[in-house]
Amino acid sequence: MRLPRISLRWKLALVALLLLALPWAGYEYVREMERFLLDGQEQALLATARAIATALHDRPGLMAPRVEREADPRVRAEQELAGLAARRGESAEPANPDAAKPGAAKPDPASPDAASPPAGAAPRPPSIIARESSPRDEPREIADILRGVQHTTSRVWVVSRDLRVLALAGTLRRPEGEEDEGWAHRVLGELFPRPSENFDDTIGYDALANGREIAAALRGVPDVGLRGTPDAKAVVITAAHPVWSGDEVAGAVVAEETTNSILTARSRALERLLVVTLAVFAVAAGVLIWLATGISSRIRRLRDEAETAIDARGRLAHVVTAQRSGDEIGDLSRSFSALLGKLGQYNAYLEGLASRMSHELRTPIAVVRSSLENLKLSPTAEEARVYIGRAEDGLRRLGTILTRMSEATRLEQGLSSLERERFDLAAVVRGSVDGYRLAYPDRRFELHLPGVPVPVSGSADLAAQLLDKLVANAADFTASGDPILVRLDAAGGAARLRVENKGPLLPETMRAKLFEAMVSVRGERADKPGAEPHLGLGLYIARVIAEYHGGGMAAENLASGDGVAVTASFRVAPEKAAATTR
Amino acid sequence: MAKRIAIVEDDAAIRANYAEAVKKHGYEVSAYARRAEAMSAFRARLPDLAVIDIGLGDEPDGGFALCRDLRALAPALPIIFLTARDSDFDVVSGLRLGADDYLTKDVSLPHLMARISALFRRIDALREPKVADEALERGPLRLDARRFTASWKERPVELTLTEFWMVHTLAKFPGHVKDRDALMRDANLVVDDGTITSHIKRIRRKFAAVDPAFDQIDTVYGMGYRWKA
Repeated sequence: MRLPRISLRWKLALVALLLLALPWAGYEYVREMERFLLDGQEQALLATARAIATALHDRPGLMAPRVEREADPRVRAEQELAGLAARRGESAEPANPDAAKPGAAKPDPASPDAASPPAGAAPRPPSIIARESSPRDEPREIADILRGVQHTTSRVWVVSRDLRVLALAGTLRRPEGEEDEGWAHRVLGELFPRPSENFDDTIGYDALANGREIAAALRGVPDVGLRGTPDAKAVVITAAHPVWSGDEVAGAVVAEETTNSILTARSRALERLLVVTLAVFAVAAGVLIWLATGISSRIRRLRDEAETAIDARGRLAHVVTAQRSGDEIGDLSRSFSALLGKLGQYNAYLEGLASRMSHELRTPIAVVRSSLENLKLSPTAEEARVYIGRAEDGLRRLGTILTRMSEATRLEQGLSSLERERFDLAAVVRGSVDGYRLAYPDRRFELHLPGVPVPVSGSADLAAQLLDKLVANAADFTASGDPILVRLDAAGGAARLRVENKGPLLPETMRAKLFEAMVSVRGERADKPGAEPHLGLGLYIARVIAEYHGGGMAAENLASGDGVAVTASFRVAPEKAAATTR
Repeated sequence: MAKRIAIVEDDAAIRANYAEAVKKHGYEVSAYARRAEAMSAFRARLPDLAVIDIGLGDEPDGGFALCRDLRALAPALPIIFLTARDSDFDVVSGLRLGADDYLTKDVSLPHLMARISALFRRIDALREPKVADEALERGPLRLDARRFTASWKERPVELTLTEFWMVHTLAKFPGHVKDRDALMRDANLVVDDGTITSHIKRIRRKFAAVDPAFDQIDTVYGMGYRWKA
């Protein structure tokens, strides 16, 4: 199965995505903080309620229900509450059933706020209730006590046991626009909206009648709880503390605050969290990608070097340079380097083997040869001469094999020190074919040359040697009388020398391997008795020479299906003045 | 008095065979297996000709060292390298050290004997007062087949026996193409095509050292070489 190719860089970038878990962790932390703050706010509110309640303990007179006067702050408070409700178009449910008198349902027009709220927004409730109440009035006293909280963002009210609101102070709303939000908010404000100060802050009848906290307080147990505003735009924390009169509960102090400050803090924290995580993510991802790029470029360099270390002929072209860094990639490149070095030594050993072997074999052959020749010089029987002749014949063939074996190696060694010269390939081919007509009198040669010289940089002798190999090969496979076609043409910076002959086709499987050393496609047929020993080195030598001249070899069966064409290509040398050809 | 030939060869069988063959041709022979052994013998008494193998026992280049020492001892002594090593590098090294010829062990005994006698002839010819020699003149080229000396435009060209024979073969019939087989036969060589090519190259270089404009040897691709008429 082939896996999709994902580069190391992208894999590490994907890993960097794990950093995106950071905002989640941060979000969890912010929520924890929010819970903690809420708890704190609840406790603070309860403390406020307790403090106020303390001031009201054991003052039964203060808590007595008095509903006679219209100007009574309690009534006005009730009116305020009712009015708030009415203005928001809610059902005219009285804030307090006991206070639902005719005339009291009308809202008090006095709303002494300088800054008029926007249309549709609720008017601000009076910050101080019963300012102009007559002195020495009990609710007025309560109001005085409550005045202490008017500058806070909490709303404090006092209810009697019969759930009548005796006094009310403060507001749930916070002053607006006091803070300058940073650029992050302007960008991310849509994501993290600040809680609205524009909410319904009436105290619903439900809140009074069913409020768990108030009920608990009236039973004598301080309690804190959360409720939503009627329009569900904000959440209000309600803390209720009983007011004791002796052993019995005379009423309750209720302190309320919205959670808006916490929500604001939360959304600000989230905002910062997002900005910080994005920044951290960007930096971390950048660093990771940089690191990955470094690593993968080193690995790629190593890969490229490893791929080019072995050339097309399967020989070691160069040894991978060992990277100097001490990490695993450095180790890998060093092992590669060492490995290829050893491989190179082994290759050199193998390549040298043929020529070394031929050297080694030369000595015993010399022993045999000199012995035979000494034998010939001494008087021997006629019968013995026959065997000596046969032995010499075998020895001659053995010698030829040895020479051939070292020929390729010697050629390759020679190439590196050979001086290149410019020569006309067309002239070499013409001369060579003239020679072949003499050397192979029973073969017919057809020669096609371009009209112009074909300048090639290299060695004319080697080019002739290459053509020798091709023609010798073609002649071996051609029946006498059939023409051998030699064609040279030059086009597009390359000269192509093509030798065609009729004869047996190449097996498909051998086409690619034909130009490798020690590969031969000759069957029994070609090995006529007395023929020169064949090692499959001819075409290999041809390839070495073609590659030396910047070209290569190709072999194909003729389209007509009755022969083979072998093509050697040469790089044409650019025109140069004063080219010397020999 | 019979000429004395020293054979330095580490392979006992070859040494014995060559020694016997040389003896049959009427020479006196002393054979050695090691460099030190040969050198001490040479110090005691110089041979008339030395045939040296390059690899001697555990000294891969012992023959080269021996040749150098012997050449220092006797500047005019003919020395032939007879070795299994046939790379151009070894040939050039051997000839630079002052050997008169370099043969591979492919050479047959008759060929070897031909070379030995040719070298003796050269020595003898150089010792004799100048007589009517077997000179071959082709324009500025002058070959003395008795002394095996060559000169171009009156300046001597130092050729080995092999090279001399090749030039002689080419120059004998100017304009005729001599193929590689003919060159090998006439030079008593058994080598592959590549070696002939490098011999021709060396010959060209030697003539070019005397006359940079030398361009007398033509390569006829596919056939061989030709001395320009």
